[in-house]
Amino acid sequence: MKRLLVVDDSKLMRDMVAACLRPLGAVTFEFAGSGLEAIERLALAGFDLVVLDLNMPDVGGVEVIEFVRSQDRLRALPILIVTTRGDDESRARVLQAGASGFLAKPFAPAQILDEVRRLLPSSVT
Amino acid sequence: MTERVDLQEFIGGFVVEAAELVTAANAALLEIEAGHAEGTSRPKAVRDVFRALHTIKGLAGMVGVEAIVDIAHGLETLIRTADRAGGQLSRAAVEVALQGVRAIGERVRAVSEQRTPAAAPPRLLEAIASTDATGDAPAVAPQVSAELDARLSPSERAQLANAVAAGAPAWMLSFAPSESNAARGVTIGSVRSRLATLGEIVKVAPRTVTGPSGAQLGIAFDILVVSSAPRETLADAIAASLESVAPVLAPPPPVAQAPLPAGPGAEPSTRELAERDDATADVVPIGRAVIRVELSRLDELQEQLSLLTVSRFRLEREIAAMADAGHDVRRLRQVADLQGRQLRDLRRAILRARMVRVAEVLEPLSLLVRSLARSSERAVRLELDARDTELDKAVADRLLPAMVHLVRNAVDHAIEPAAERRARGKPEAGTIRVACTEIAGNQLELVVSDDGRGIDRAAIARRSERTIDHDADLLDVLCGPGFSTRDVATRTSGRGLGMDIVRRIAVSDLGGELRLATTPGAGTSFTMRIPLTISIVEVFAFACGRQAFVVPVSAIEEIFEIADAGITPPSAPGGRSQVSLLERRGRAIPMFSLGRELAIDDGAAARKAMVIRRGGEAVAFSVDRMLGRQEVVVRAIDDPLVQAPGIAGATDLGDGRPTLVLDLGELGLAARERQLP
Repeated sequence: MKRLLVVDDSKLMRDMVAACLRPLGAVTFEFAGSGLEAIERLALAGFDLVVLDLNMPDVGGVEVIEFVRSQDRLRALPILIVTTRGDDESRARVLQAGASGFLAKPFAPAQILDEVRRLLPSSVT
Repeated sequence: MTERVDLQEFIGGFVVEAAELVTAANAALLEIEAGHAEGTSRPKAVRDVFRALHTIKGLAGMVGVEAIVDIAHGLETLIRTADRAGGQLSRAAVEVALQGVRAIGERVRAVSEQRTPAAAPPRLLEAIASTDATGDAPAVAPQVSAELDARLSPSERAQLANAVAAGAPAWMLSFAPSESNAARGVTIGSVRSRLATLGEIVKVAPRTVTGPSGAQLGIAFDILVVSSAPRETLADAIAASLESVAPVLAPPPPVAQAPLPAGPGAEPSTRELAERDDATADVVPIGRAVIRVELSRLDELQEQLSLLTVSRFRLEREIAAMADAGHDVRRLRQVADLQGRQLRDLRRAILRARMVRVAEVLEPLSLLVRSLARSSERAVRLELDARDTELDKAVADRLLPAMVHLVRNAVDHAIEPAAERRARGKPEAGTIRVACTEIAGNQLELVVSDDGRGIDRAAIARRSERTIDHDADLLDVLCGPGFSTRDVATRTSGRGLGMDIVRRIAVSDLGGELRLATTPGAGTSFTMRIPLTISIVEVFAFACGRQAFVVPVSAIEEIFEIADAGITPPSAPGGRSQVSLLERRGRAIPMFSLGRELAIDDGAAARKAMVIRRGGEAVAFSVDRMLGRQEVVVRAIDDPLVQAPGIAGATDLGDGRPTLVLDLGELGLAARERQLP
């Protein structure tokens, strides 16, 4: 069973991401409503993949990526960025910061499913 | 294996969340406007508006509402400029942003009513694009160490300066999350909420904690907060000792070069912060962490609970019967008592889940007053004081229209024009105050008061051709249907007061009360007392022995003319529970006279039969005639002296008289038990 952390300050967006990823089957979803909560959860427990929003309270997605990558045990954690800022400049910046994947909102359910399948360490279903 | 996922199933969730974000954006914009009036900036409110619009845009994109995406995008761009410039948003920008947010709100409503929302108006988009976002008030720079200063965005710098200038010191807190803290419910989320009640959070940033050898030991959060709370309280809020709370900046006169908390790892975190992208700017979350549940699902839960309550009554009856038969039921009774308490707790928990914050319910009044004041060219201030009161969502939905009427009347009819107020020695801006407190007996008291001209009793008496001795008489006249002050005392709109509607909502719909107190020249206050919770039930109303009763529609299987059915009359006349046998579609159904069961008449005038089904068996009651079908608010009968089997509560059919809500199932059970052993 894989553990996914979905980070977004919108509850609806978290629900939609989880719904899109339902076809993965053997995964459990956990949720964080802010970058701060995400950092705390990642520091205290092990996850297989993070779906991360960019624009969030207190600590934005880019800062979360940088902080996660500065942690020895989290350097290889797959991070998929999901953002309304879908321009090339944002994409370049988050990939440079250490994101593993980048998806612009709005996205189709199949798109995020493909991305997550690509990024999960050993494939599920 | 793939499963098709349709995001349109989230449209309901979108409507709810977008409506909340619209409310949050409006509230923040009004706060910025209040800041203009006081000559201060509100950088945090600017960030709140930005966040709300950004989230609306993202969500609208996901569910494909392009018109909202367009408007939100324009506003987001406008407000980002202001945020980057230190959180100053010009008056013109606030104005156009309010228009834009209203346009978004209209489209959210269209989506909720399953209409296609209108495209974004080009003129609005142009107006947004051509507005100068930033104000001209100079940004204030707080005197903090260069090291701390480098960690702050322009907006945070301004927020820190404003907050400290308002008279509270700034602190740097260090919170270390851990499994043991998390197990006690102490997380960065809970710490954040706690600190938000103690002061203003300017910034939170993560930091790696390293050991002497440079090994990573864990993480900590640095929290910059402006608060007048004692250092001990702040330490308590982060579950840490006093060393984790360091003073950074004292209120004016400002202290330069205050120390940053020393600690390993502060260095890399500073670098990261300095390089932070503006687009990911620190913005405070809107609303609280909540799970949304459709009201109908809570209704379902309540319905199930009532069934459980009924089966519990039966259990008690069985236990009593066993006791009567000489069995030892002490232990059984203990369990039943425990279950009874648990049921009560469950009921309370379900009621709590239906509660919404009054402050949020009444939030739209701020916008209302703003626009009414503008159109009537009066200066009016609304003070909302709802503290932490909460009330049932169903009550809240009914309450708001009454509050809108009262506040509208206050602006239109009570508050004098500025010149008149000046002449009377009053402040030019009128004040309307809405205060809400919870009082005994699960009731809420709402007071809408104004400092306007008061109601001219004599003029109203002349107009209504009645003598008015007390405020109660006055209220009675004002609440007459369609009463208007058109001809009296005011030079206002001439719209009907709508007081009949206010009273209907407060008294008939909600089972509360309405009072009035007015002092000529000094102001008027309306006081409404309403129950915190109500239950709404669709009922059939019928007459039986000159009285009206109601019964829930869901309890009735069939209603028909007795004349159309074959009847076998009671075999043994006399006594209370006489049973006839009613033939209906080849079955025989026992029929009781409701008039006799309730001991109000002999049932001779009964023309209609109502069939209920209980545990698979049908029972009919004869009643005089049906009066109609409607939704009513059912009030529980709390007085133990009045409680009786078969009576589920009381209601008001709109005639002001209490009407009993019957539980025919229970009556049927009792009648059958008496008659058919």
